[in-house]
Amino acid sequence: MPAASAIKVMVVDDQTSMRAMIRRTLQDLGFKDIRDKPTAPEALESVKSDRVHLIISDYNMPEMDGLQFLEAVRKDGVIGKTVFIMLTGSSDRELVQKAAALGVNNYLVKPFAPAALKEKIERVFGALA
Amino acid sequence: MHRISIIQGEHAVVGEPGTVITTLLGSCIAVCLQDSVTRIGGMNHFLLGEPGKDQRVNAHELQRYGLHAMELLINAMMKRGATRNGFRAHLYGGANIVAGLGSIGSSNAAFARRFLETEGIAIGHVDVGGTRARKVEFLPYEGKARSTAVADAPPIAVPVTPRGGELELF
Repeated sequence: MPAASAIKVMVVDDQTSMRAMIRRTLQDLGFKDIRDKPTAPEALESVKSDRVHLIISDYNMPEMDGLQFLEAVRKDGVIGKTVFIMLTGSSDRELVQKAAALGVNNYLVKPFAPAALKEKIERVFGALA
Repeated sequence: MHRISIIQGEHAVVGEPGTVITTLLGSCIAVCLQDSVTRIGGMNHFLLGEPGKDQRVNAHELQRYGLHAMELLINAMMKRGATRNGFRAHLYGGANIVAGLGSIGSSNAAFARRFLETEGIAIGHVDVGGTRARKVEFLPYEGKARSTAVADAPPIAVPVTPRGGELELF
């Protein structure tokens, strides 16, 4: 049973308010080491130099979208196996299938309840302590 | 003039001149957003979630519906080519017109204003609060918006949970 406080998380969303809400939700779940970035390129650079266990990323972002970000992470020899949960505006079948093909670990449809985020994380890491 | 009417839970985005988006508001909020560079604009109409009688839901919980509504509008505009840097917003609604619903209108208005400030979006016209319903008309391309008090109350707003069902892939 992993301790949430031991899991390092990167949150990526172009909306400041959304990043703040996700951060607050993770803190309520016991996560302590949370960093966030407004764009995928910034997040990619950050997690390459300071690795995390979990990336929670929005899909719909300018510059580099969530799928492109996922692909870049998976292609990297060092951070390629980082757990990746994608946030989407709707459960678009084509998008989810593309993400699954690229190796996403799970996805979550906005707006989500804290319990839903916890469940998605636990499906990958096991029950959180 | 082409008219598009929206109701609670909806949004509309326009990139051409001569189109007006309208809605009728009670305690709900409508944000009229325009990118002054591309002239792409849109309006949404939303209500924060309202806890049931015996539910204990904190303010953070309720805000996720508002966040989602704003994100849908912004994403739809960006999909058409709008850029965040030119965003300017007008804010309407948030009346406290239904007895028994407390100050949900004020909460909606406070959320919307806080969201726009947090995201660094310039705020133009603001007409919120009070006890009267409003009709809002927005010409996105022209960037013009106005609200007028109306005698008829809009249908009582019910929180909408926009979920599309999940795919069982994981």
